Amino acid sequence: MTAWIDAGCIFIVFFALAILATYRIVGMIHIFALQSFVLGCVPFFLHAEALSARVIAIAIVTIVFKGILVPYILLWAIRHVSIRSEVKPFIGFGLSIILGSLLIAGAFWVSLSLQLPGKAVSNLVLPCSLSTVLLGFMIMVTRTRAVTQVLGYMIMENGIFLFALLLFDGMPTLIEMGILLDIFVAVFIMAIIINHINEEFERAPVAESRSETGESF
Amino acid sequence: MLLILLFLPLFCAFAVFLPVRRIFRGGLLCAVSFIHSIIVSSFWLKLPVSEFNGYLVLDSLGLILLSVVSFLFLIVSVFMVGYFKHEQRSNRTFTACLFILLSTMTVVSLSYHMGLLWIAVETTTLLSAPLISFHRNQQTLDVTWKYLLVCSVGIALALMGTFFLAIAAHDLHSLLLPALLNGAASLTVNWLKLSVIFLLVGYGCKMGLAPMHSWKPEVYGQATGMVAVLMSGVLTQCAFLALIRVAQICNKTGLSQFYSSMLIMMALLSFLVPAIFILGEKNIKRAFGYSSVEHMGILVLGLALGGVGVFGALFHMINNAIAKAIMFLTAGSVAQKYGSSSVDKIKGVIHVYPLTGAFLIVSLLAGTGMFPFATFHSELMILNAVIIGQHYILAALFIICLAFIFIGIARIVLEIVYGSSTKPVLANKENFFMNAAIIVSIAALVGIGIWMPTPLVNVLRAATVLVGA
Repeated sequence: MTAWIDAGCIFIVFFALAILATYRIVGMIHIFALQSFVLGCVPFFLHAEALSARVIAIAIVTIVFKGILVPYILLWAIRHVSIRSEVKPFIGFGLSIILGSLLIAGAFWVSLSLQLPGKAVSNLVLPCSLSTVLLGFMIMVTRTRAVTQVLGYMIMENGIFLFALLLFDGMPTLIEMGILLDIFVAVFIMAIIINHINEEFERAPVAESRSETGESF
Repeated sequence: MLLILLFLPLFCAFAVFLPVRRIFRGGLLCAVSFIHSIIVSSFWLKLPVSEFNGYLVLDSLGLILLSVVSFLFLIVSVFMVGYFKHEQRSNRTFTACLFILLSTMTVVSLSYHMGLLWIAVETTTLLSAPLISFHRNQQTLDVTWKYLLVCSVGIALALMGTFFLAIAAHDLHSLLLPALLNGAASLTVNWLKLSVIFLLVGYGCKMGLAPMHSWKPEVYGQATGMVAVLMSGVLTQCAFLALIRVAQICNKTGLSQFYSSMLIMMALLSFLVPAIFILGEKNIKRAFGYSSVEHMGILVLGLALGGVGVFGALFHMINNAIAKAIMFLTAGSVAQKYGSSSVDKIKGVIHVYPLTGAFLIVSLLAGTGMFPFATFHSELMILNAVIIGQHYILAALFIICLAFIFIGIARIVLEIVYGSSTKPVLANKENFFMNAAIIVSIAALVGIGIWMPTPLVNVLRAATVLVGA
């Protein structure tokens, strides 16, 4: 089963890198959905010999929340926006890929010196989760649109969650579910705010007369 | 008893979505805050039993935060009755978010599991977003977006830190606080160090410590006064409770030196940054936001020094919350009357609204820690701890920065109060509920500044022992 886990981890990093190189926002969201789906499958491989109800529950909740609902909400948030492509990232696509690869190399180098206690499942989980967190952070910092920033945040969360799958016995199920729910609500609220910003942006010429300072009190 | 505290506000959050008059929602919030505070004050006589297999426990540390939460919600709910007399927007979502916020803040002060603590802190972050963007114009939305992004990343780092902590506690198979403290010897030190760094940066971001403070002046400048009170008074201190829990673990594992050196570094930055930026500030609420950064610095400085410093920091938690209530409620009431909170638009408040002008002077004194306000005593205790610890340079910098911040706030407040008079835009009269809320907070702060009741001293002592520095 280790081969499957390794493949899953590598795919997750690969998808994060692919999002870094994608031009269209809709494409980015689709790749993100794929990444979350792979992430949701990892628990099955990790506990293939003893599938408990708990493993299945967490895998299904992950797939439903991150793989289906979050992409759906993000697509809803950008529905009204006329420009659907990433206009100008701060740094070009070629340079982003090179920097991204450097980050991955850095993550692997750092995780050489970190020793996981207990039985080793796969050597790739720790470096891959660190790389995904770093790539997500980079997407957040270098992309200018609100939706891409949310995507970067979600990729970061996926990286953290990959890491969390190692600690299955350390965390009670309810707590893990709570964490998942929180992240989901975060995206939901962000999407609503994006929607409000869009509305306000479209209304802007009218809004000038509404309040002189635009300040709330 | 604990369950009533949790579920009563949560239940009411749904009740406000019924088609009722807006005055009913305000009244309901007042009633629930009142019941909440009655129950919390009964805990000062006897601590309640734990719930949910030791996941929810009230200890003296939690009791301090819970009382502050309860008190501020009571004050804000009274203020809100007056505020919504002059406000056209519907208060439905606003009140619902306040109810859930009350419930989750209660969970923060009760949670004994590091994972549950994270969930509760994250939920408070998310709920404050609709509160900040209440007026829904371009500026508030931009600010809300900035706040959500900065704090979400911070909180994500804290989640990572929590997972690292779980790896450090691999042999214990638990993240419950008593298990961690009793089994401190079996924690893996390297992973624990990594986890402490991530938790400090994550929760520090939520607290608004420099250099992660960038959201603070912006958000407090744009949010309504009531929201700024709840954020600067309790939301940030919820994150401080998380840092205290980390300190408890560090003190048991011999990492206290490592942890406190990082805390002192951040505290120093949190003094320097506002001292520099407040001098050029034109907006009273933004200036108070910088003052909040400074007070967070004072809190972590006290926590880092141990002993009398911890006692001072815990006392300062209470004082800072009440002082922030006075400052931001007054600023909010002025801003509602003049339609702005910038010095250019408001001048000579004392000629038009004598009482509000007096409140502004009081908030200047309370916020900068003058006698007879209790902030004076707690700041003095922490300064005392700095000198006992023989950090003389730190003490000098601390005093110089406080002086600069005093000058910065005094410059703005005095110009607003005594400058040549401008006409208020909206010309509201003084409101009884708003003023009553501010007067009660002033009385409370002066009260504990002059005379500290014995139960308060006992609880603060017990909490200091719990931190164990």
